[in-house]
Amino acid sequence: MGEYTMAKLYFGILGIVTVLFGVSELAVTAGGTSFSWGILEIPNEMFRGGWGGFIVLFAGLFYLSSLKNFSEIHQFSKAIMGSIMIWVVAGLDIFAMITESIPGEEGWFNSLGGFLGTYAPPYTPAIILLPFSLVVIYYICKRKAS
Amino acid sequence: MGLSVDERWDLIDKISKETVTFGKYKHTLKDAVGELTIKPLTGIPIAIAVLYGLWSFFGSFAGFFTDGFFVSLFDEHFLPWIQSVFPDKGGWLYYIFVGDPLADNCFEAFGVLTSGLFIAIGVVLPAIIAFYLILTLLEDIGYMPRLAVLIDTILHKIGLHGYAIVPTILSLGCNVPAVTASRILETRKQRFIMMTLLAIFIPCGAQLGIMEEVIPDTMGYVLIYLLIGYFILGFILNKIIPGKSPEILIDVPPYQRPMLRNVRRKMQMRIVGFFKVAIPFVLLGCAVVNILYKGGVIDWLANVMSPLLSGWFGVPDETVGPLIAAFLRKDLAVAQLSAIPMTSYQMITSVVLVSIYFPCVATFVMILKEGWKDLLGSVAVLAAVVFLYGGLIHLIGILLGVA
Repeated sequence: MGEYTMAKLYFGILGIVTVLFGVSELAVTAGGTSFSWGILEIPNEMFRGGWGGFIVLFAGLFYLSSLKNFSEIHQFSKAIMGSIMIWVVAGLDIFAMITESIPGEEGWFNSLGGFLGTYAPPYTPAIILLPFSLVVIYYICKRKAS
Repeated sequence: MGLSVDERWDLIDKISKETVTFGKYKHTLKDAVGELTIKPLTGIPIAIAVLYGLWSFFGSFAGFFTDGFFVSLFDEHFLPWIQSVFPDKGGWLYYIFVGDPLADNCFEAFGVLTSGLFIAIGVVLPAIIAFYLILTLLEDIGYMPRLAVLIDTILHKIGLHGYAIVPTILSLGCNVPAVTASRILETRKQRFIMMTLLAIFIPCGAQLGIMEEVIPDTMGYVLIYLLIGYFILGFILNKIIPGKSPEILIDVPPYQRPMLRNVRRKMQMRIVGFFKVAIPFVLLGCAVVNILYKGGVIDWLANVMSPLLSGWFGVPDETVGPLIAAFLRKDLAVAQLSAIPMTSYQMITSVVLVSIYFPCVATFVMILKEGWKDLLGSVAVLAAVVFLYGGLIHLIGILLGVA
């Protein structure tokens, strides 16, 4: 097995899942109703579902287009960019959670239960993809070391 | 004695041999990622992601401070307090400084010390901070020159070039520094097109912040109308204005980590600028509009302009008040529009009209500094655009059955 075969397999599967998530977000937004299944929730709002879904879709396409000759630096940079795009969407979803969790509805600040409850599932597709996208950091470090 | 061309090249060769080290350059990951942000196929989705990030951060950050804390602070504590302590309830001074004595929120009070302070500090300031923070980070990271390269071809269609994206994006913060930034464009034709487009079609951060607060559901449509107008007018101006639109050569720096000192200085400079330029005009705008209301001038103007406002543009006659306020501050005008009863489509049309009808007075002064001929030209274009584009939006609404 080549040095990057495992990476190709991993980012291939991640790319397919990311594309599916992106398409689902666009479809749910177009359909006009939100979708929830287990810890996954796809909002149907135009901004988050439409615009955000488009970015998740392209993140998946970046992963998939990086697979051919993955070890080559320009190809590998596409996988990095795919991860960065997921970090943008997921990071801002988390930031939105933080800003919603602090102010209270009755007083200045939220109760502890209300604060923690904001962070409970379900989560958007980008947040679910976030930990899997971080694997790219391992490969960046590996490249630097070699 | 001058050197011949050959001698000059020989001299260049000699100097470069002594000063330049030649070797094989190995591409780094940073270079490869940088290239992705410039190529259209990959660069456009990345630019869309960057804009999403900017917008999402803007909404969350401004919403956190405005809805989370300032609305409560102003509506539940400051407004009742000032309504009770300000003397001469029902008098002129009370009306100008506190506004409607029965108002239960600062948006509808319309006094200098109620709506004026709430809009400036509670709504616009968080929006401006969020916008400038992201803009400064993008500048410091090195993304802006890449965006300029990416968008160069599109902007050439409207007589500009890639660097026009700098004043355009700056204008989303405030039109005043953006007019100054339009000096980076080489020819007078380009500068005129840029200033006219900025003054008419680019809403400032203050206006965006207030739109996000009062018309979040219809804001997207307003922005689409403004974006379409930006390109249509740019295309027309490029065809009719004589002059050249030269190519550019951009030095694209490598990506780098933002320097905290740079970010802090830029933020400080821009926010101090906001306090100096925007806040006095918001307060003055409230005072002027209140005086005109109290003196009956707004009602008179609403009657006189009724055929144009309700007939041609399809908006309520009361819109005349916010249109006057818009000359001083557009954010104030949008806030005032939110208190006028109207349909969603009328609201979209009104906000587009407020955006395009006249640059705020601070921008007006900046364009005047660039030359009175440019100012007169911009105003003439603007008058034609407001009349035609406002009517066109009304016509679209009629055809869609929503106006």
